Amino acid sequence: MTSYSNGGFFNHAYHDSETLEMDRRHSSKTHHTNPYASHDPASWGESSEFPGQTHGYDAVGRAPGGGWQGESWRGRESLPTRPDSTRQHDRNHSTFRTDRDSQYGRAPPYQLPSSVSGNMTMRWRRIAVRRMSMFPDADPAHVAFTEDAIKNEMENEEQDLVKELVAMSTRDRIRTIRDLLMSFEEKKHIRRQVEALKSSYKSRQFTRLADFSENVSLSVRRAGYTIKSTRQTLELWQGIMKEIGGKFGSSVLSYFVFLKWLLMFNIFSFLVNFGFITIPLLVHDPSPNIPQNVSFRGLELLSGAGYFTYTVMYYGGYSNETLEGLVEYNMQLAYFFTIAVYMVLCGIALIFSMASSFRQNYVVAESVSNSAWQLLCSWDFSVTNDKAVRQRRNNLSVQLKESLSEKAQRELPTRSEKLKHFGIHFGSWILSTGLTVGCGASIYYLCRYEQQRATDTENWSLSQEAETLLVPFVVSLMNLVIPLFYSLFNKFEHYSSQRTQIYALVVRNVFLRMVILAVLCYYWMNVVAEKFSCWESVVGQALYRLVIFDFLFLMLGSFFGEFLSNVIGTRLLLSLGIPEFDVARNVLELIYAQTLAWIGIYFSPLLPAIQILKLFLLFYLKKVSLTQNCQPPRRSGRAAQMQTIFIFLLFFPFFVGALSMVAYTAWTLNPSEQCGPFRGFNNTFSVVGVWMAELEEISSSQWAVWIYQNVIRSEIFYFLGTLIIIVIIYIFWHVTKGRQELIRLLRQQIINEGKDKSFLLEKLHDLQKSNLSRNPKQKKQKEHTKRHLDDRSSSSHSSSNAMVQALLARQQFEGEERRNAGGVPVPSDISTSSAVMQAMVARQRAEREQDDLYHMPDEYSSPDSALAQAFAARQRAKAQESDEDNGSSAVMQAMQARQRAEADRGLDTGDLPFPVSNVMIQVMQARQRAEEEDRIQWVPAPSQNTAPPGSSALIQAMLARREAQNEYDDGY
Amino acid sequence: MGTTASQLGKDVLSEYQELTFLTKQEILLAHKRFSELLSKEERDRPDTRVPMEKILTLPELKSNPFRQRICQVFSTSDRKDGSLTFEDFLDLLSAFSDSATLEIKSHYAFRIFDFDDDGTLDTGDLEKLVNCLTGETDETRLTTDEMRQLINNILEESDIDKDGTVNLSEFQHVISRSPDFVSSFKIVL
Repeated sequence: MTSYSNGGFFNHAYHDSETLEMDRRHSSKTHHTNPYASHDPASWGESSEFPGQTHGYDAVGRAPGGGWQGESWRGRESLPTRPDSTRQHDRNHSTFRTDRDSQYGRAPPYQLPSSVSGNMTMRWRRIAVRRMSMFPDADPAHVAFTEDAIKNEMENEEQDLVKELVAMSTRDRIRTIRDLLMSFEEKKHIRRQVEALKSSYKSRQFTRLADFSENVSLSVRRAGYTIKSTRQTLELWQGIMKEIGGKFGSSVLSYFVFLKWLLMFNIFSFLVNFGFITIPLLVHDPSPNIPQNVSFRGLELLSGAGYFTYTVMYYGGYSNETLEGLVEYNMQLAYFFTIAVYMVLCGIALIFSMASSFRQNYVVAESVSNSAWQLLCSWDFSVTNDKAVRQRRNNLSVQLKESLSEKAQRELPTRSEKLKHFGIHFGSWILSTGLTVGCGASIYYLCRYEQQRATDTENWSLSQEAETLLVPFVVSLMNLVIPLFYSLFNKFEHYSSQRTQIYALVVRNVFLRMVILAVLCYYWMNVVAEKFSCWESVVGQALYRLVIFDFLFLMLGSFFGEFLSNVIGTRLLLSLGIPEFDVARNVLELIYAQTLAWIGIYFSPLLPAIQILKLFLLFYLKKVSLTQNCQPPRRSGRAAQMQTIFIFLLFFPFFVGALSMVAYTAWTLNPSEQCGPFRGFNNTFSVVGVWMAELEEISSSQWAVWIYQNVIRSEIFYFLGTLIIIVIIYIFWHVTKGRQELIRLLRQQIINEGKDKSFLLEKLHDLQKSNLSRNPKQKKQKEHTKRHLDDRSSSSHSSSNAMVQALLARQQFEGEERRNAGGVPVPSDISTSSAVMQAMVARQRAEREQDDLYHMPDEYSSPDSALAQAFAARQRAKAQESDEDNGSSAVMQAMQARQRAEADRGLDTGDLPFPVSNVMIQVMQARQRAEEEDRIQWVPAPSQNTAPPGSSALIQAMLARREAQNEYDDGY
Repeated sequence: MGTTASQLGKDVLSEYQELTFLTKQEILLAHKRFSELLSKEERDRPDTRVPMEKILTLPELKSNPFRQRICQVFSTSDRKDGSLTFEDFLDLLSAFSDSATLEIKSHYAFRIFDFDDDGTLDTGDLEKLVNCLTGETDETRLTTDEMRQLINNILEESDIDKDGTVNLSEFQHVISRSPDFVSSFKIVL
């Protein structure tokens, strides 16, 4: 506890001050039924303003609730009887003060920030949170009581915060301030203070080095901001994205974000390939060596063959020479390393974005389908279109109702129903798998047929060239039509949740595309590679055709899929309605297109250029199709999770597949003899071997040779690497399992704590009810006792065991009451005083236990047991009391009457049926908080119980206790 | 854009950049949009408050069901009229920006949903929240029975300590399980 707690809280002068006197004058008792009703919303912002400003007393004066508290104070202060006790109180008070001052006065008010900044961060974060949470529960009048204390406390906290911030590095500080849960004004204030403090430090200990580093960090920061804002300016399609998000919500927007991401990916790969492979070649030899009889016929744009065969578009167009310009540029090595590095970079980028997406979206996401909160939290704040908002509201309302009815009548399906569902699922899976396999087989035979007819590309006629378009046409047609069948199957299946339905659809589509691509790859590797003299270019052309046809069919797809169904839905079959934008299907199409580009990167280095063009046009096409034909999706939500799945799909079957295809080509297949950079090698990879052989002669690059010999070409390295990775994965897997277990345990603990709390509250409430009925004329006396105890206890212990005190107070009150009620009956006096004794003992025990707590911070359940003991003692006391209580039956009757009156009143105050229990909740919460704070204080530095956070909790506890008192008073 | 930049001043701008999650462009755009709400003579005075009605004419907020709550939560006005200064406005945009942390977003979401400002989401708050989301028309509104059931479900789901209300930490727990929250709690100028 710091010195500020005796600043106002226990200061008599403060209670007698003019300000409060004024407040008391306009007091009224009407507010007591519901303290929150009188709680002006203003006090949130107001009380969380900075204490340095002089808002404090004004706020109290303005707040309408400021009065009734004053009333109770007056009641207390205008005690007509027992002047000696007041004196006693004063004496106590003064001893307490001197005691405190002598003990802690010399101690520094706060600890200077030490090196444990992580710990610190947590602390100020808590402070910031508490600052916000402190006031909502307290009503403005309470602020009046402890105005000074709170002010002081907040000042101290702020000082602490500022000190901590000053000790941080500049970057940390900026981030920390930015993350504070405060209003802008407060942040600004904090920042100004930090700057002021820093400059004062600096003037004291000015060093050139510090100044220099400060300048450097400032300029680095500035540069960072500039980069960030230039990126912002370059942000493509920002307006359109916003429009789409505003109209269709974030789930549809995620498709466009994905498209843009792919576009960026392709721009990057184009720049890499163009920069490192094509430009050097073009600089060396700008004219392509095209045979005389080949000319541009137009069909090349579709088929990619003919004229294009001899350009830098394909593998065949690149030479195997070492270009002799200003520097030597080995085309073979450039080709190999560019492709390899590009693939590795792609993989890393995908893994990173996948990991971050997983971390964000799947961490604790549970499979609670249609849970009410998820619906409530799913409101899209970015939706700005009026019509969209209305539609969204309708959808949400429908979904909420659905979730209710689902919950109400969730019955297990009967056996026959289960069987039927299983049969349908089984059938549709068989059918879809059969369709997929059929597609694969037909494509294979089609390719074989085409291969039999095809000759080398040198002298194709126009019709021969057109024939090559058959395969891509069929493939794209399958990609367009088969998913429609799948959607149809999906309509007949009844999945228990929508999520599994979507997943089933996605899995089938992915399977289809994988099979098609696998068949094509197999054909290229095994048949084309054997037959054609420049087979890499032939594969490149095939991929080019596939990319182009895919684009054409995407356009057709959005025409048929969206435009036609819009026309049908609005004109012909009104029951179908306006179509929705199918994010899953569209994203899968994008993934397929990207896979083609990846496979093609080796065979046709400039394929990304086509892909860029395609994606760019597709964006506008889809945007127009979306705004013209579609309506916002009926079911919102899950957009983030879907996106994670899509990135995962893009990585796992598709990117990994493309990578292994390219790697297989590079490692094992014979490059063609007549064309391309690798002519004459056994496989592409041997270009590295040749290079290494050259390097061996140069002594300065022995390390590279060593790496090649011992790392790249050694099996043991890969073996060890794999082993280590497997071990690491195993360890992490177990760590994850442990964490899951921990989460489960913690959740269980929360539930148990909640149960404990409600049990105790119930107990308290019962006691309260049976006890609330006491003679009203004892009130003042009770108050006196309570106050008396307040002071004593707060001086006796740093931890505010408010609960025990409240109980004890009542205990004492009961004792004294007995004394008064029964005249002066000596025997009963003795018996009740024994009850008081017991209570005292219980209290002491409670305190002892709490003391123990500081030494064994793990056992925080002990205060509860102390509390329980106090309860027990109290009940014993009550029992004794009632045994003795035969002489004052009149009083008893009066009490019962009161009880009834109380009950009636309890019913009247509809808003707050159990005012006392409510108060008790607060007391308990405050106590818990106090305990936590103290624990934190005690564990790191047992001698330092003077640090502010603990005392702030104490103040809260006191606030709560005051409130308890007042509620209790008002109860009378 | 150039004129607005000079209006804001370099120091102020960098201070704003440090204190919010916004980039320079976003701050300048916000300033431009904010100045458009002010009259000529008001523009020259610093710290002018724009009344809530005017703020709500912004297309980004116009049809938001929580528009009034948003203004009230971010307003630092003494009169609680939901009027915003430019700094309040920046605070709003910062909390709703892409790069704001989940903690900040959930904190403000909680305050927005806490209609009576008492620090917990009680039955009344939840009822208002649901009504805000479903709209007030008769066909979308839930019946009293449905509402009661829904609120029971909500409390059952999220009220871990069983005190009949949802407090901030319980709310944040719920939020952490709905991954779409961060992407949907977003307002871009």
